[in-house]
Amino acid sequence: VQPPEKPLQAEEWKKLREDFQSPEIFEEVMLNSMIRCNSPTDVAKSLLTHLAKRNGDIAYNVLVKYLTLCVQQGQVSEICDVYDIMKVRFKILESGAYNLLIKGLSNSNQWRMALTLLEEVKKIMVPSRTCYESCIKAASRHQEMKLAFELYDEMLAKDVVPTLDVLQSFFDFSRGMKDAELQKELFGILLYLRENQIYPHKTFMRSIKLWFESIPGGNWRGHLTNIKHSGQCPVCNHQLEDSNLTEEEYSNLSERIIRDVIHGTDTFRKTTPQEFEAFQTFVENRLPFDIVIDGLNVSHIKTRKMQCENLFDAVNCLAKENARLLVLGRKHMLMNSSNWKREIMKEMQNKADFFFAENISEDDAFLLYATLRSGKHCKFVTRDFLRDHKACLPDSLTRHLFRKWQRGHQISKKNVFPVFSQQPPFCYDCVVQTTGDTWHIPYKDVFEEKYSYQVPRKWLCIQQK
Amino acid sequence: MQSANMLLRKIVRSSVLPFAAQHGMKKDLFPRSRTLSLSLCLKQDKSCEPSEKLDLDEWKKVMKSGLQEDVSEMVPEPKELSSLAAARETLEMWRLAGRVVPENISEEELKTFMECPSKSAKKKYLKYLRIKELHKKNDKRKTGEKRERRLEAQDQASKMGETKKNSFICMWSSTMDKAYNWRAAQSMIFGQPLVFDMSYEKEMSVREVTNTVRQIVLSESCNRRSVDPFHIHFCNFKDDSLYHREFIKQYREAWGKLLITVTDQCYTEIFPKDKLIYLTADSPKVMKTFDHNKIYIVGSMVDKSIKTGVSLAQAKRLGLETAALPLEKYLLWSTGAKNLTLDQMMRILLTLKDTADWKKALEFVPKRKYCGFVNKPVKELKKTLDLINTLKLGKGREEVQKQIAKSYPKKYKLK
Repeated sequence: VQPPEKPLQAEEWKKLREDFQSPEIFEEVMLNSMIRCNSPTDVAKSLLTHLAKRNGDIAYNVLVKYLTLCVQQGQVSEICDVYDIMKVRFKILESGAYNLLIKGLSNSNQWRMALTLLEEVKKIMVPSRTCYESCIKAASRHQEMKLAFELYDEMLAKDVVPTLDVLQSFFDFSRGMKDAELQKELFGILLYLRENQIYPHKTFMRSIKLWFESIPGGNWRGHLTNIKHSGQCPVCNHQLEDSNLTEEEYSNLSERIIRDVIHGTDTFRKTTPQEFEAFQTFVENRLPFDIVIDGLNVSHIKTRKMQCENLFDAVNCLAKENARLLVLGRKHMLMNSSNWKREIMKEMQNKADFFFAENISEDDAFLLYATLRSGKHCKFVTRDFLRDHKACLPDSLTRHLFRKWQRGHQISKKNVFPVFSQQPPFCYDCVVQTTGDTWHIPYKDVFEEKYSYQVPRKWLCIQQK
Repeated sequence: MQSANMLLRKIVRSSVLPFAAQHGMKKDLFPRSRTLSLSLCLKQDKSCEPSEKLDLDEWKKVMKSGLQEDVSEMVPEPKELSSLAAARETLEMWRLAGRVVPENISEEELKTFMECPSKSAKKKYLKYLRIKELHKKNDKRKTGEKRERRLEAQDQASKMGETKKNSFICMWSSTMDKAYNWRAAQSMIFGQPLVFDMSYEKEMSVREVTNTVRQIVLSESCNRRSVDPFHIHFCNFKDDSLYHREFIKQYREAWGKLLITVTDQCYTEIFPKDKLIYLTADSPKVMKTFDHNKIYIVGSMVDKSIKTGVSLAQAKRLGLETAALPLEKYLLWSTGAKNLTLDQMMRILLTLKDTADWKKALEFVPKRKYCGFVNKPVKELKKTLDLINTLKLGKGREEVQKQIAKSYPKKYKLK
């Protein structure tokens, strides 16, 4: 339905309603389309008046719809009026109305009322992230940075994940302020980005850069750059953190992989205890390997070729320079078939160690184990993104460790004919990092990154002169 | 007019509202009382002021005037609500806001609601309750209508007068039950065993266990009604487990009289290992024929979160033979997981046992999951499908292959 352009008389509304196909939801549909068309509030008011006259009451959901319209247009006095009415009429409100009220009020000079509302919400539920977002933005817009950071800390304590917008607003509104305490808090946000492996988008990055450069007496300078493959920053010649895990992280990760990915709730789901034990002794006797290959995955690279030929190419290509190879496969590969020729398999077994798992076991778990056991220098070859294994890990911290390790150790090749070319893994770590007088911040060109395994290539280099 | 209005308000306030408040139904009564008083107000307004001037903020006056006094008197309730009452209040507001929320909620359900770990879990639970409520309401309405129709029919029959004399003895349902029970009793002595493995309780949520028990009850009744029933065994059944409690909820007194074997022993302790076959969709082996000398095991598990390999792990641990239904061989699979519900499994097994006809048995696979029966070997079919697709749609071969590989992943990977 098209909402009318001018306020209507009760009679006219009545007629419109009767003409509508399902009169019970007429008001709702009408208000929805008003919200969509951003109609003047006067029109909505006239509808409410008609409603009030007819029923002597206005339903809660209709009030909320009207409130949406007011918030959309920033009509502060109307918002306050609606709030007064709601407060009298209902003992508590639900989250939708609170969200709207807080959003509406925080954008006005009544923003302190939004804070009291937030307190009210806290009594009955955990406020949503948008509630916090509005309040924090309002506080920082009015230069109450301390208050804003209190709210921010409270939000983190309640496990409400802040939006990038909130984080960005801190940088935007702290521009040009000289305050050691504030500076510490903002560095804290950068470290939050680091810990959670969040990459700011372009505009956010710009806010960070501008803030750094605006610190009075700070002498910070920011440059946009691409990091060389060696991991050296071309602007300040600083070497980025390497992608290797620390000893502690490394042992932590391999323990978790064995416990959560291989064994999980039930060892029998991915393998059997006997098989895993056999595999363990097999690996221990031949350690360390340089490259571990997922045989079945590699054998599917080119669909036109025989599967064992694909694998043969890969092994030949990687076997140079005396690298110790381990190929993981399944027992069915040993059966002479159209895709797996016995002679070629024999020849390959001279060049690399092979382990054949049962046909119903998962070889990926073995791949991870063998690579981790061999040590930090060991790499693995598969095109699999290993998302399902990452998902087996229970907490986000370990998952981040896994991704980091995977970035540094996985060789996944492009499907280029006919040479088996390898694409080297990253040797530097792609996170926000600092040395005290420099900051390096990776950023995304677009707002949403599509894949979790992709990392940005562009960096912001900030250094203090 | 004014005085009448006042009088009305007083009456409303003094008699109805306290009563309403006591019973916690304040909100239901409020609008009604207000409409009454307001309609009087409005009539008065119109008579005084016939001009058609539009007052846009009139609704605010209405909303405020009819209420403030009443509410200010009503509000002095204990300010600190108990958490349960607060939750009830929140639900009420959600309902008003038009969310999917049940109209009535019991204390127990409210507690479950509060224990939900996240917002989305709460939402889902409420939706489930709402849908349940709607189903119940519909059922009630339908049974009411049925009863009316029956009474009408009876009325008409009595008007017609004479009742027909029937030379056959009427077979009442109790008689049928006796016959069924006789068969089930026979199956307990001579019948082929069928095992339900009840060891998956900790893999499931409470609702999944409820669903499982429901499906088993369905399969049991279907088995009882069949010509040649299985001898059903519930193995690994722990007393006072969640399964047990749910079964008692479903069967009530009948639980003690069921003609099945319930035991806390494992099937490997009761039957020789080489006769057992574990049926699981994850099995690499495909069932060719139904063997009357084997004992089939069905895992009593509903896994909504698709935990692959749980029952296969169980079979591996015990070193049992496994098998999967030949779904891909006989059906052109389209969507959905290949794990079937327990009652579908039971119907399929019963039909296989009686007829050994796969086509007939696999009729019980839900129609939405497959496109049709395969009449040629799958390989040939794939070739023709390929051909048709390349000719018709001009799709590349690889794309078609990808599509097929999606619905037949194992075959393409393993060979």
